[in-house]
This record gives sequence, C-alpha cells and structure tokens, in this order.
Amino acid sequence: MSDSSPSPPKQDPSLQPLLRSILLEIAIYVPIVATYFWLILRFAGDKLASLYQDSLTLYAIAATLAIVIQGVLLEVLTSWLLRRFGLRH
Amino acid sequence: MFFPISQVFTNPFVLAAIGFIVGLLGGFFGVGGGFLAGPLLFWTGVPMNFVVGTDLAHMTGKSIVAARRHRALGNVDFRLGLLMILGTIPGIEIGAQLLEVVDKTGQADHIVGYTYVFILTVIGLFTGLESIRTIRKKRTDRLPAKDVLGVVRTERRSRLFNIPPLIKLTVSGVESVSIWSIIFIGFFTGLLAGFLGVGGGFARLPMLVYIIGVPTHVAVGTDLFEIVISAGYGTFTHSLKGNVDIMIALTMLTGAGIGAQIGAVGTRYFSGPTIRLMFSILPLIAAVLVLLRIGI
Repeated sequence: MSDSSPSPPKQDPSLQPLLRSILLEIAIYVPIVATYFWLILRFAGDKLASLYQDSLTLYAIAATLAIVIQGVLLEVLTSWLLRRFGLRH
Repeated sequence: MFFPISQVFTNPFVLAAIGFIVGLLGGFFGVGGGFLAGPLLFWTGVPMNFVVGTDLAHMTGKSIVAARRHRALGNVDFRLGLLMILGTIPGIEIGAQLLEVVDKTGQADHIVGYTYVFILTVIGLFTGLESIRTIRKKRTDRLPAKDVLGVVRTERRSRLFNIPPLIKLTVSGVESVSIWSIIFIGFFTGLLAGFLGVGGGFARLPMLVYIIGVPTHVAVGTDLFEIVISAGYGTFTHSLKGNVDIMIALTMLTGAGIGAQIGAVGTRYFSGPTIRLMFSILPLIAAVLVLLRIGI
C-alpha cells in the first residue's frame, strides 16, 4: 500500500543540525518573548479587558484578529531569523 | 502577572512553556493538543469556562504557524482541507446539539468521558499496531518505510468510497477519491469535536491516512490547515460568549509559535510509520487523562 506519492520531504538521518537550530532559535526567542510580555501585554491588557466588558462582539472580532495576526507575525519572524542566521529548516 | 479578563494571577512564562509543549506536539503530529492544554490550563488556575475557548484561540494561532511551515515543506493539500471543512462545520454544530441532549440526562460527564476513552483507545491501539507492523515489514522486506502501509486502505475495500463525483488530490498523490468520503471524514471528526469539546485532530490524522490514503506528512500539514479554520471559528463563537481570555492565548502562543515551528521541521527527520507510531501514544495518554478527570 502506498504512503509515498508524492514523495515526502527528504529526510536527513542526522538530527544535529535540527538540534542546533532549536537551541539557537530558543536563544533568540527568549528575549523577544520577554520584551513582548513587557510591551504588548502590559499596555494592551487594560484596553482588551475594557473591550471585553463593553462589547463582546467587538471583543470577539479583536480577539480573533489578534491571534491570527500574531500567528502570522511569529511565523514570519522565526522564518526570517532562521534564514538570517543561515540555519537549516 | 494579572490577567484582567479571566481575573487570574498566573506566571506568563509557565503559560508560554505550556504553549511550547503543545505547539511542539501540534507541529509534529498535526493535532490541536486540546486534550493536554486543557488540563494544564486548568492546573494554572484558569477558570473552567475560560479553558476551552482560550485553548481554541491559542490553537488557532499555533496552527497558523505550523501550517505555514508545512506549506513551505509542500505538506498542505488545500483542496482536501477545504472539502473537509464542508463537513466539519455542520459536524461541530450537530455534535454540540447532541451534547445538549445528553446533558439533559445529567450523565453527560460520564457518557462523553467513556465515549472519548473508547475512541481514543481504539485509535491509539490501531495506529500503534499498524505502524509497528509497517516498520517490521520494512525490516523484513527491505522496503522503504515511506512506501508501505500496514493495512489495506478502506477506500480500496469499499464501493461506498467510490460514489461520484470523484476527484484527484494532486498534492496528496491520490488519483481518484470520492468527494463524499472527504466530507464524511470532516463531518465525523467535526461531530466528535462538537460532542467531546476537542479539536478532532487525533481522529482526522489516522482517518486521512487509512481511509483516503494520504501520505502521513501531508495528512499532518492538511490537518493543521483544517484546524486553523475550525479552531478560528470556535474562537470567534466562544469569544462572543465571553469564554476567551485572549491575553492568556496570546501569551501561550509566544511559546507555541516556536514549538510548532520546531515540530513541523522535525517531521522531515522521521518516516511516516515512525511518526504514526509516536502519534499512537498520544490518544492513549489522553484516554488516561480523561479517566482521571471523570474520577476512575
């Protein structure tokens, strides 16, 4: 039975490049995450909380948009960092 | 740190760490990870009414990260994903209605719990046994693991899955498959999601592999694409009911983002049967967690 078409991505028997990428990516990520907590959550928290109290419809739109935008931005950021540092991914 | 929406004091780094673990699983196995994130969120002190909605919100963002990465690896079959959604959304709604009916009996926790445990155990055992059989076959027959599946695809066994219209799934490499079988998978997993309050990825991945014959890597990527849509829909509806603390979800996503990336890239290093073997452990862990939750 086929589990083969189209051919899955090439597999590398060595996990070393992946582990190196993981460690470097985590090292890059920790300061970004810490800054994010301080900047975004600190200042946006109250505004989102008041939106939650005032209008759930607006809050639902803002919440859905926020999670989608952050998801896209995180992927773009991490992909860019990986390319910038010439890491394998 | 204080999260004013759910009125919870909790450590944001713990939330990010939970996101990382769940993101890693999601990126690698194509599951939402709600079975794990839910109990962990509850453990950090998040009220139960916020757990499901907040988990769905973080799942949406995490799946975007992982699905984009899988798309770059050529692992997302958009045609398949969009067709499944046609079944998923009504499935979720009917599942939720079914849950309300069961809820009126006063035995909802036990009925849902035992149903969940049964389904999880069947999926875990079946996937585990099949992948072990496949890996053994690979060793004895000297076939590459990616070229074998330890069972005969259901689509090849039954004429039900050849009801027209038939379509070709180019990315998945499936020459001909009935649209109805794809919509059925979406509907069935949506029904489970609505009834059990979970994402349904744990059922979708094996169904895509064993019923449609989608390669494991493409099943993972396509499942994540499906989760983006279904969890995004769930996020919006739960937000309308006031059940989402978006601050917590955004915090979890900072960890989940990197976890999902690493998990997605990690699939390049393992063959389909190996991924399925590791995946088979997840439903069994989830079954134990559910049994503990309903007090067995």
